[in-house]
Amino acid sequence: MPRLVIDDLEIEVPKGTKVIDAAERLGIMIPRFCYHEALGAVGACRMCAVKFIEGPLKGVQMSCMIDAQDGMVVSTTDQEAVDFRKRVIEWLMINHPHDCPVCDEGGQCLLQDETVSSGHGRRRYPGRKRTYRNQYLGPFIAHEMNRCIHCYRCSRYYQEFSGYRDLGPLQIGNRVYFGRFKEGRLESPFSGNLVDICPTGVYTDIPARFKVRRWDLQRAPSVCINCPLGCNTIGNSHYRAVMRVEARMNPYVNGYFLCDEGRFGFSYTNGGADHAQRPWNSRISGADVTVEAALAESASKIAEISAIYGPGAVVALGSTRNSLETQSMLSRLCRRKGWQGPVWFNDPAIYRKVRSGVERLDSGIAVSMREIEFADFVIVAGADLLNEAPMAAMAIRQASRKNATIIVVDPRPISLPFEFRHIPAAPAQIERCLGSLVKGSISKDELKGFDSSAKGFCKALPAKFEEKESGISISELSGQLMSAKRPVIVCGTGIVCESTPAFAADCAQLLRESGKKAGLFYILPGASSFSSALLSGPETKTFSEILPQIEEGLIKALIATESDPFWDFPDRERLDRALSMLDLLVVIDYLPTETVKRATVFHPSSTVFEMNSTFVNQEGRVQHAERVHVGGVPIWGAHPPRIIRNFVPGGDHQPAWELLWKISAETSMLESVLTLGELIAAEIPVFEAVGHSKYPITEGRIIPENSEGSFVKPKASPAKGQTAKGFNLLLTDTIFASREPSAYADTLASVFPEATLFMHSGDANGAGLSEGDMVSVELELGAIQLKLSVSQRMARGFLFLPRQRGIHWQKMKEFSAWIAPERIRKI
Amino acid sequence: MAQIKSVLRDLLDDVLGLADSYAVTLKHLFRKPITEQYPEYKRLFAERTRGRIILTRDPHGEERCVACYLCSAVCPTDCISIEGAERKDGRRYPLWFRINFARCIYCGLCEEACPTLAIQLTPDFEFSKYGVLDFIYEKEDLLVDHQGKNAEYDYYRHAGVSVEGDKGEHINEKPPVDVKSNLP
Repeated sequence: MPRLVIDDLEIEVPKGTKVIDAAERLGIMIPRFCYHEALGAVGACRMCAVKFIEGPLKGVQMSCMIDAQDGMVVSTTDQEAVDFRKRVIEWLMINHPHDCPVCDEGGQCLLQDETVSSGHGRRRYPGRKRTYRNQYLGPFIAHEMNRCIHCYRCSRYYQEFSGYRDLGPLQIGNRVYFGRFKEGRLESPFSGNLVDICPTGVYTDIPARFKVRRWDLQRAPSVCINCPLGCNTIGNSHYRAVMRVEARMNPYVNGYFLCDEGRFGFSYTNGGADHAQRPWNSRISGADVTVEAALAESASKIAEISAIYGPGAVVALGSTRNSLETQSMLSRLCRRKGWQGPVWFNDPAIYRKVRSGVERLDSGIAVSMREIEFADFVIVAGADLLNEAPMAAMAIRQASRKNATIIVVDPRPISLPFEFRHIPAAPAQIERCLGSLVKGSISKDELKGFDSSAKGFCKALPAKFEEKESGISISELSGQLMSAKRPVIVCGTGIVCESTPAFAADCAQLLRESGKKAGLFYILPGASSFSSALLSGPETKTFSEILPQIEEGLIKALIATESDPFWDFPDRERLDRALSMLDLLVVIDYLPTETVKRATVFHPSSTVFEMNSTFVNQEGRVQHAERVHVGGVPIWGAHPPRIIRNFVPGGDHQPAWELLWKISAETSMLESVLTLGELIAAEIPVFEAVGHSKYPITEGRIIPENSEGSFVKPKASPAKGQTAKGFNLLLTDTIFASREPSAYADTLASVFPEATLFMHSGDANGAGLSEGDMVSVELELGAIQLKLSVSQRMARGFLFLPRQRGIHWQKMKEFSAWIAPERIRKI
Repeated sequence: MAQIKSVLRDLLDDVLGLADSYAVTLKHLFRKPITEQYPEYKRLFAERTRGRIILTRDPHGEERCVACYLCSAVCPTDCISIEGAERKDGRRYPLWFRINFARCIYCGLCEEACPTLAIQLTPDFEFSKYGVLDFIYEKEDLLVDHQGKNAEYDYYRHAGVSVEGDKGEHINEKPPVDVKSNLP
């Protein structure tokens, strides 16, 4: 551990630490442009010059390029170094376009800060400035190349870190240009990070373009709730509107970065550009009423129905975008009032998969995204990462950069920004493939050391799995897995079989028994799936099981809390019919969902930006999102009215848990001794066990002890090959358009993927279809038209339909469908 | 004796004091008056006087303001509020611009901060209203159709963004780099 002195302060740092990082640990921020912790050092900008006074090196050197060594004495304030940096700034500014007033980076610009702090203020250079033409880079990122200082951060991030090739440096010398060879939308779904990473204003974000300055923003740490990963964000609000979302550094979750869906999918909270898309006011039968009137109506109607039909005629629906507070309140109310529920999921299969997954996770085996970055062998089973949990793909990309072997076992035509082996196994074959891979990696000596249950599990694993089409040899991969030290299994819960999550856990456990530091990482369907699984028991029902009771007239009232059955329940006609039979439909939400339109009584709830809330991500990490602003109808977009009033328009929303508590007519929270922290701890015992009874809950991982016995003997997989002629149509998620709440953000509407049906090229040839054809697929309740995309790299006999806004997949009667070949027609 | 002397001296002082002030009055009877008969007569103020605020236009007649938010940032009484927007041609402009003159203290910091010389203080100081809301001036009330001070200044001629002239056409600029050519 080298010890060195920086500005008269002594510090000991791990070997390999750069001097610039050592200084940062002491609180000394050496100016820099090109150096970034996530991207490493290139020494391109010459800005981090410091004077080495004693030690192995002498003189002015770049602190980002030099490892800290014993005996170094460094001065950042030495006159020679200060003058050097001042000259660097002066020549970086030679070509600067002097357009800070019209540049969105102004106020948060590293170049601006360093220029001011260096003291450079007057242009001495009489020559002319270099100029560049800009490019159109898509609907998220504005490009202004004149401001570039050639630090290479963008190309290093875009190509090396995120693994896309369409943006990079062109030209040489003083004429280096960062852009695409041809104008066009950036291919990367992580392009928004260019805004954060650029030290000047070359890349600025378009949704907030020209609208605000950094100093006017209200900022608070928040959490992204679009996918289960729970990436850390900073919410930025101004004039009652969320203006932009930035990445917040969390080394265990998202690092420095965010995906575009998380970054730009926020405008649902503003009600879109015209602020009219969000339901701002309480309503009874569609007419605006006061908050109190709506609450009184809900409370009295629920009490009435409970009195006449019994409390079992009331059902509470929750969802996987509820905060932990709301979920705990729902669970408590259902128990105390005797209501049915809470219901978290629509699809019973998904529910069982999530629950079995969460039950099998324990703190030893669960890994964070940070740990995935250091894995040396990653198996992705049944997950389309880029579409289901984009930042997880970024984490695996980092492992891939460290030469990890990546295997994806998934029937879909997966694309990922790194090299990987794709085994397009059908969902029923995923376990077979995974099992034979793991079995092959266990040596005979290791097998002897196992206890009986592990031994039994290992022996029951299928020995052979043949994948003819991909031409990948499982035994070769098993050999690589055998020598791996930190393998990770990433298991999806979408299209896989019900037993697969538990099977993946067993496989990871088996790898652990064989002496590896194996990890398990689930991709769950929503931001708070983990906590909904914690709050469920074996008797918890899903909406599919509740629906027949509504149809029979046993259920009279439905309380939908941030839950929209229309979003992910098939058979819309049946749902419509069933909901119209209800006496009372109370909806608590912040999105303009279909359910909200049908509500008898509607209560507006707060979004994640408007309340303090807690979310548990899919690896059991508790994270707190602070309130960014009070909310209300945003002022921007039109002239603010000249009215003096004592209320905030659209400010009626309240956290869902608070609304629930009020409409339940429960006795005061204080009387029943509950603070929010106590409420959560009372509902989810694991919070109490780790001492989380205060609020806000301390952030950290909570994973209940694994009570389930491990090593369930694998069932024999069904024989390969379909006998009947036809296709199995499965629903999949797609980035931007599939998830609540981001799919309601109008900022993302322009990048919604085109409605596309995926089909194997062999199947397509057989059916006389080809890539790009418009096809009509006849579902049970009608036909849908969409584009066909064919691929060789997917399972045969399957069709994949994205469950996205704009595709009427609800014409299906079930969550999957069997499509006879004649029901797909070219149009 | 000494007592009488002091009484006489006091008396003399009083008489002199009276005479002196009468003399001043008498002298001013024959001077030109310096009082200005406001409001019948309105005095001309220096151009730099800090009175009512205006938003000026550039020599092409376009709004000078680019909604950079510097005036609202520097304003010690927070009386300026703006929202920036983008015009179809890429020009940045204030969608609305509001000054609450009931709060304004005419310190002129906004004018100092303005990088485009859009916001300027004028010598107009006659500013009284019956209602407080009447002091709230919107962009339509603030925007004038002249250049105010520094008539020839045009910010977009200096800034290297392609508004008012393509890349390379502004003051002190080289033609744009051709990224697909290897010629020097």
